[in-house]
Amino acid sequence: MELNAISIGFVVFTIFTLGGGIGVVTTRNLFQGTIWLMVSLFGVAGYFVLLSAPFLAAVQILVYIGAIAILITFAVMLTRSVTRIKTRYIRLVPSLLASLALFLILLLGVTMPIFGGVSPEHAPATVASTRDLGAALVDENGYVVPFLLASVLLTGAMIGAIFIARDDTA
Amino acid sequence: MFESPTIAEFVTQSNLASTLPGTLLVAWTLLLVLVDLFAGDEREHWTPLGACLGLGVSFVANLFVYAPAADQQTALYGMFIADAFTGFLNIVILVATLLAVLMSRDYLMRAGIHRGEYYILTLLSSAGAMFMVAANDLIVVFVALELLSIPLYILAAFRSIKNDGGELALKSEESGMKYFILGAFSSAFLVFGAALVYGASGTTNIPQILEVAPAVVDAASSATFYLVVGTALLIVGLGFKVAVVPFHMWTPDVYEGAPTPVTALMSVTAKIGGFAALLRILVTALSVLLLVDGGVAAWQTTISIIAALTLVLGNFVAISQRNLKRMLAYSSIAHAGYIMVALAAAGTAGSADSATQGALVYILAYMFTNLGAFAVVMTIERVDGGGGNIDDITGLARSRPLLAMAMTIFMLSLTGIPLTAGFVGKFMVFAAAVQAGLVGLAVIGVLTSVVSAFYYMRVVVNMYLRDSSGELLPALETVYVRWAINIALAGTLIFGIFYPLASNLVSMVSIA
Repeated sequence: MELNAISIGFVVFTIFTLGGGIGVVTTRNLFQGTIWLMVSLFGVAGYFVLLSAPFLAAVQILVYIGAIAILITFAVMLTRSVTRIKTRYIRLVPSLLASLALFLILLLGVTMPIFGGVSPEHAPATVASTRDLGAALVDENGYVVPFLLASVLLTGAMIGAIFIARDDTA
Repeated sequence: MFESPTIAEFVTQSNLASTLPGTLLVAWTLLLVLVDLFAGDEREHWTPLGACLGLGVSFVANLFVYAPAADQQTALYGMFIADAFTGFLNIVILVATLLAVLMSRDYLMRAGIHRGEYYILTLLSSAGAMFMVAANDLIVVFVALELLSIPLYILAAFRSIKNDGGELALKSEESGMKYFILGAFSSAFLVFGAALVYGASGTTNIPQILEVAPAVVDAASSATFYLVVGTALLIVGLGFKVAVVPFHMWTPDVYEGAPTPVTALMSVTAKIGGFAALLRILVTALSVLLLVDGGVAAWQTTISIIAALTLVLGNFVAISQRNLKRMLAYSSIAHAGYIMVALAAAGTAGSADSATQGALVYILAYMFTNLGAFAVVMTIERVDGGGGNIDDITGLARSRPLLAMAMTIFMLSLTGIPLTAGFVGKFMVFAAAVQAGLVGLAVIGVLTSVVSAFYYMRVVVNMYLRDSSGELLPALETVYVRWAINIALAGTLIFGIFYPLASNLVSMVSIA
């Protein structure tokens, strides 16, 4: 790998993503875990920039770090005993084995060309513009149907959420 | 710039008509929210009635749309597929929902938790199932699956809302929570699998995956590898939803804790949605995923092993259950195993159609029988949660002879005794398996059916041959539940006695 801006960026963002991930699963403090999650999500946003998808990077920061992580923070603040989680990981070994297995499987796929497999065709070097993404979302030949279906889903989820949260005694 | 089509152009181009059963149900449900709002104190009558009417409207639309549908057509710009498979499963889903709604009103009134939202969530969930059986794109599969599941999570926890902290409320909450966490977990597998398949094939559209899959397999590159891994993850994700071993752990707790009509509904519609997606993805898109030229589909062995494990574990663990709902939960795992046998059979080239038809007939038979059995269990359950054990039905034949007879027929059908719908389903599934060369799997299926007779017949023996403690069970059901049992009984017997009927209904179905 030659040393240029992209490879340096890749290393930096990988440190962010993996370091944040390790932070999430090791900390015993839910609030610190949320902060680590933000760090990890920020690293993923960096990958999107490297992959020439700046719009997705912006969405990643706005939606995941800006909205979802804040939501998690609120949820954590409403939870009792945020900082004193006593339970240890009771299934450390099985979960470690499972994640290792998944990692090795995915790694095998990536390294297949090195061991004599054919390397896949390279993706065309197009930069998906915001406009392309928008068209894909609402154009009739794009994903307008799942988009509409998702709005029905949200309606159902909202009815359910109101129902669950409603205080019947009031 | 983009030309926007006129309304008329849009309706023709999108083939909107063929999606009417599902879209009408969604529209009706959204109107039902308003009906429930304005019905005031009358809502305990109007909302369930409106729900039944909505199901009826969708049913009629389905008959119009799919009556001549021997041909296969896509709709909504390739996202939606309207064929005999969709039409048939739509009918099964609508009948199942109708039966569940009929059961629900009584149960909710008795438990003091009658709320209009219940019916709205039920209908939305069924609409999700209807979109799922028609999904022609992995993204639609995912969104429809969530539309099917999220209302079911809430419905499973429905008992907890009004009941103040009783044991049943806790169990219902636990049920909803477990179902939600496991459901979210399995959705993650599904999405990861879909992402890998998309990465390998460059498309999420099921027919397009079929087109590019042979080239991807021939290339023997990383893409081939990820197509296989993606398929495996899709099987895991949907395996959780249809509750097959080893992805079944959540089922007994969730089925036991959820309100009985909800259990009945989710044991049918969630499985239909999952199996429809599995059939569409594996049989339609990935039947060409051959690792050996001219051999069987690569997923066949995996599915066969899952089917065998499911059959054995489901049936053997059901023997030791005392609680009827838990027993029916394990029995539903076992029945998912029989449908898995059909799915495995569809992996052999040439027997895909007969196996798919077998699976559909099995689903139809299972729907009537299982809902009927749950309806009977519901009538003998007490509000405080008692009455659901196998000992509580002793002497039912004397106190409630007709109910006992209905239960006997449902148990016979679940076992697969001739003259019941269950037999026709099992016969078609095993025939397809033998035709596909999976004789061993068919033998396991027959043997485990014999095992299942043990626990199903114990219910019958308890009802007829053992004396009750003398206490007669009170008549708890209303006319609605009686109708639900009658319809389920009629379905079980009609499709069992006139056995060519079911296979004629599905003779048009071909998804390969």
